[in-house]
Amino acid sequence: MTQPIAIPHAGIVLLVGPSNSGKTTLLNNLVEQGVLLKSEIVSSDQFRVLVSDTEFIDFGKHSKGELEVLAAKYRQISQSAFDAMSELINIRGVLNKLTVVDATHLWPEDRQKAVNFAVKNHLSVIAIILDIPEKILLERDAKRELPRGRNPIKQQVRTFKNNLGSLKTEGYSAIYTLNEVQLEQSSFVRIPNPLVKEVGAGLDFIGDLHGCYDEFLELLKKLGYRQNEEGLYLHPEGRKLVSVGDILGRGPKSLDCLNFFMKHVEKSLAYMVDSNHGWKIARWLSGRNVNLTHGDENVAAEFLHYEQEQGKEASDRFKEQVKNFLLDAPSNLVFSKNGVEGIVATHAGIRDRYIGKQSKRISDFCRYGDTDGMDETGRPVRKDWFIQHQSGEIIVWGHDPKPQPLVVNNTINIDQGVVFGGSLTAYCYPQKKFVSVGAQKDYAEDPESSIQKWKSKRFDPPNIHGFINGYSVNTEDYGEIRIKEEYVKSSIEEVSHYTIPIEALVYIPPTMSPTTDPSPLKDYLEHPKEAFDYYRKQGIRTMVVEKKHMGSRAILLLFNDVESSKNYVGTSTLGIVYTRTGRPFFNQAMTQTILEQLNTDLRKADYFTKHKTDFVLLDAEILPWNLKAKELISAQYAHVSEVTLMDRQKILEKLELAYQNGWDVSSWIEEFKVKLKRAEVFRDVFQTYCWDTHGINGIKIAPFHVLADSNRTYFDQPHLWHMEQNRDLAAVSHLFMETEFRVVTDEVSEDEAIRWWEEITEDGHEGFVVKPETYIARNEKGRLVQPAIKVRGRKYLHIIYGIDYLQPENLARLKRRNVNRKQRHALMEFALGLEGVKRFVKKESVARVHECVLATLALEAEPVDPRL
Amino acid sequence: MQLAIKAVGEGARALSFLLAKNPQNLYDRTEKGYRVRLTYTVFTETEVEVILFVTPDPVELVKNSPDTFKITQYINDREFVVSSIFCSYARSALATAINGRTIEEYLPWVTHAFQLNVSFGPVATDLSDSVVTGLFEPLGFQVKIERGDVDYLFKLKDKSSARFLHLQGRVTLQNTLNYLYVLIPVLDDYKHYFMDEREIEKLQRYGEGWLANHPFNEVIIKRSLRFRELIDKVPPELMTKIPESFPSDPLDNREPAINLNELRYQTIVKIIETLPSKETIVDFGSGEGKLSVRLGLIPQVQEILAVEPTERLLLRAMKRFAQASLQEGFISPTPIWGSFYYYDERVRNKDVMILGEVIEHIDEHRLPRVMDTIFGSYQPKTLIITTPNVEYNQVYEMEEEMRHKDHRFEWTRAEFIARCNSWADQYSYGVKIDGIGQEVEGFGQPSQIAIFTRQVGSEK
Repeated sequence: MTQPIAIPHAGIVLLVGPSNSGKTTLLNNLVEQGVLLKSEIVSSDQFRVLVSDTEFIDFGKHSKGELEVLAAKYRQISQSAFDAMSELINIRGVLNKLTVVDATHLWPEDRQKAVNFAVKNHLSVIAIILDIPEKILLERDAKRELPRGRNPIKQQVRTFKNNLGSLKTEGYSAIYTLNEVQLEQSSFVRIPNPLVKEVGAGLDFIGDLHGCYDEFLELLKKLGYRQNEEGLYLHPEGRKLVSVGDILGRGPKSLDCLNFFMKHVEKSLAYMVDSNHGWKIARWLSGRNVNLTHGDENVAAEFLHYEQEQGKEASDRFKEQVKNFLLDAPSNLVFSKNGVEGIVATHAGIRDRYIGKQSKRISDFCRYGDTDGMDETGRPVRKDWFIQHQSGEIIVWGHDPKPQPLVVNNTINIDQGVVFGGSLTAYCYPQKKFVSVGAQKDYAEDPESSIQKWKSKRFDPPNIHGFINGYSVNTEDYGEIRIKEEYVKSSIEEVSHYTIPIEALVYIPPTMSPTTDPSPLKDYLEHPKEAFDYYRKQGIRTMVVEKKHMGSRAILLLFNDVESSKNYVGTSTLGIVYTRTGRPFFNQAMTQTILEQLNTDLRKADYFTKHKTDFVLLDAEILPWNLKAKELISAQYAHVSEVTLMDRQKILEKLELAYQNGWDVSSWIEEFKVKLKRAEVFRDVFQTYCWDTHGINGIKIAPFHVLADSNRTYFDQPHLWHMEQNRDLAAVSHLFMETEFRVVTDEVSEDEAIRWWEEITEDGHEGFVVKPETYIARNEKGRLVQPAIKVRGRKYLHIIYGIDYLQPENLARLKRRNVNRKQRHALMEFALGLEGVKRFVKKESVARVHECVLATLALEAEPVDPRL
Repeated sequence: MQLAIKAVGEGARALSFLLAKNPQNLYDRTEKGYRVRLTYTVFTETEVEVILFVTPDPVELVKNSPDTFKITQYINDREFVVSSIFCSYARSALATAINGRTIEEYLPWVTHAFQLNVSFGPVATDLSDSVVTGLFEPLGFQVKIERGDVDYLFKLKDKSSARFLHLQGRVTLQNTLNYLYVLIPVLDDYKHYFMDEREIEKLQRYGEGWLANHPFNEVIIKRSLRFRELIDKVPPELMTKIPESFPSDPLDNREPAINLNELRYQTIVKIIETLPSKETIVDFGSGEGKLSVRLGLIPQVQEILAVEPTERLLLRAMKRFAQASLQEGFISPTPIWGSFYYYDERVRNKDVMILGEVIEHIDEHRLPRVMDTIFGSYQPKTLIITTPNVEYNQVYEMEEEMRHKDHRFEWTRAEFIARCNSWADQYSYGVKIDGIGQEVEGFGQPSQIAIFTRQVGSEK
């Protein structure tokens, strides 16, 4: 034989032939040649020993009664050995392994079981038939140590011959029949798994193109691919493209896309998997009666056009190429690196047990996904196959357009519906990075497409059942955060009555913790030293220290114009200003005035054009304190100040009178003088943060974080960058104010910062906030550290812990505070804030953003000591 | 918190015996959580003054307070103002004087009306100066009220909320203290402990002989006991007259018109009774369940969902439903925690949905989305909407622009008709508009109602 016999990488190989046909000898040779592994071979003899320690029973020297017993025993052992072997073959099949079965396989029933296993496990099964003359078999048997005997051999040959006819119909993907000569001359070769490829220099997985060739070229450029003189797109690092299929249909340039991939796949620069639209066009090109709908008619029109331009001959040639290319596309591809198969490409989905395998059933599944019938409009309803993925590989898929890459359970959907006016996504591996370009237009113009539906449903009210009984949010930065039912309910009440509309409520600032340890200094509850120590202990060397404004926290969402806001919050508005509990900061008229002023100022400075953005989202403090808190200040702080001063003054007056008249109350007088002094400090301190405003005159907004604009979030920018933005904004509008800050890197700068703190807090200023250099900071163990620690001044704390908090016995008790819970909440709320803003910028649904916001509100509803 | 008592004139020194406090010594007692001190400031034949002041432990004071987790927990006037806290702290220091027990020789002074100057404070009260004066004048005192300073660096308030009271009169010490033990808690509208029937006993003890005849008897009793259950138990001899009405819930009084609520409920029930399909009803924004509970008695009704986002109201509704369940044939409504800003498939495709006086609590710019959910997603066969007619507010001669402070808008009849017609067009509903309540020429009726009927075959 000239052609070597191909042994598949996985599947089942059945040897068929009576005893002594040379099966075991052949297999031993193949193991020696390295074509097979010893462990890939199973035999009935081996299993008879494994199950019963008996390989052979000699029936010759026994009485009739004994023979009956032995025969029965032998049948039982053979059956058990066969069962055990079958089980093993099946298991190996599940694991995508090759199993070569060394047994006579004379009866079709013996062979059928193996064929069934192969089909069940989506593997191929081949049969190698050893057709050796009876004479030779008998000769060989005679030479054996334990001969089978002439009659049994003859019987086997008869059975073998009689059942050869049915082999063709038993379902083998290949049958090789070898006589004694052919067996001598034959060579065997092992075929590697055609579905497994190397990751190599890196892969760029491309979502469904649907003929959007222009966007594709734009994406390639963004990914760094350059066209060479042959017209091929090469990446300087040698990266390769992997299409998850559906490169054609619906869109304008299906043939360009096809051409591209045919050329690049041929040159091993790209891969492409099979897909539903590809399969349909392939069948159409094969002359099948296919009803071209769902945009596939556009492909036919392109072919027609091609024929008109290039002539029938060229067109037929091209069609043939396309057909073969599409039919050859594998259902899935597995990419390995360092021998580990880490990532899988498929079109619509895959089951773990299908990975790296091919079969009709698998092709169907990979083309259409896990379909569960149709909905009322006749569209397939998709079952979420990806929920069951457990085998560890990343599965990249397309088919089902999602507004954003959907990352669930190690599966990544990268079909962002470019043809429906969405975007085209590339997933870069092993960098695990997304690159995308927006659609130039909505080519499909299908209002029922999930992208268009998503666009129209984005602002739909969130389903209350997703929250009301408690739920959890998966955050990128903190993992899963669970929210308890009782806190969700009170937050839903809040949202239903008081907050700004859900669509605009995109971020709630996290709570901020004071230092973990109180100051060891006698007259201090808090001191900067402990904040610096905290960060150093977390391995953070550079800190940014920002003056803490004493006003009211506010979030400002400012739009370029009332038109662009519709895209983000669903209504026309210049913006929104809300408090840290999500309520409107100002009344309607005042909000309008502030927004108009800010809009005028920002536009005058070309802010939106310069930053190429439709909006900016700011985290800020708005001053003065009395602007928002006048009622609280009047009823609480001023009132308490008034009654305290009155009480202490009156007592002091009477005690002084008593002293004059001879009662020894001098120690009481001293005590009340100190107390009166403290009451005066209290009265002065709370007024430090208050001043009169007239309209917007006197209002100051300190935006210390630029959270996001319409392009991106800015959580990757260090705090110094945010401070720069703060300075730029302050230069743009009188309403904005700068925030003073210092950078702490060493002892000298630390001492200098502490001196600064002493100075400003002695003036009654609230204090400062110590932040790690980066917005999101982690310690050496990779754990998130506090995004900020507040250090409040001695005077300021009078308005938090009470007029006499510095009295030694009070201070001692206050120092026993525990901030663990506060810090845990600060981290969770921080991560939820990041998550919500990221989702908002990605234009995810209101429900997805709201789940983060509601979670923070619920965490704040927990009985955490708010003075901490 | 302090109390200074000065006796002027003959026999002033007897004060020290009535108080049982030796003028030679300072009185200084520290109890758990507070310290009580007393000293004389003047002690002559004709003038004796004593001051008693209490300094509570601020950290101890805020423990177990309902405000524990409020930011202002430690910023608290309880530590400084005279209140029931002061009365109980000072009780043992003043016990002898209050009980009128002293050594035999001085017993006649117990009933002696001294020329007394009594100063105490600071007082934190929401009562006006004239009421404060009116509480003490009938008891024989001249009243002077002093206020704290409000010289703030920014515009905050016109007058201080800290008051100090100076009383002058010829009164016995025991009576004075009895008055103060009743009136200090009355002034201060805050109680630091759980109130039970012992409060009535206190009123009887301290109020004996004067309270029943006090012109502000009703105010004193109401402010002392606060709770209807306690007030009902006050023995008649303590009262000048029985209080007639006691406001229970401000929400009940959201409208000036009496019985308009009732009328509206009746109208809605009547409409539903005539509907062919009424098996399933959603009362959206059901509040405390007053309408829902009436729906439970309509024949043919099989399910009522009472949707409300406010815990307090939901709890009241549940209580109401439980009470009503005793009636035969009553279908108990199911309370559902829900709101217009979330989607809830449980209220989809019902026979009747009612938005009774709720749309005006939704910001007007948020209405289109809410209505889209209701008409477009929930698709009730019949939708009933009621809302105030703003034109009618003139009939009420209201001072405020709107009938309730949470109303985000109130519509004229023309506005309501225009909105209803446009919803009906947009979502294929038929609509009938009517009014509820007494009609006044030119102003219409106080409430407006729209009944929307889904057009057959218009399912979306």
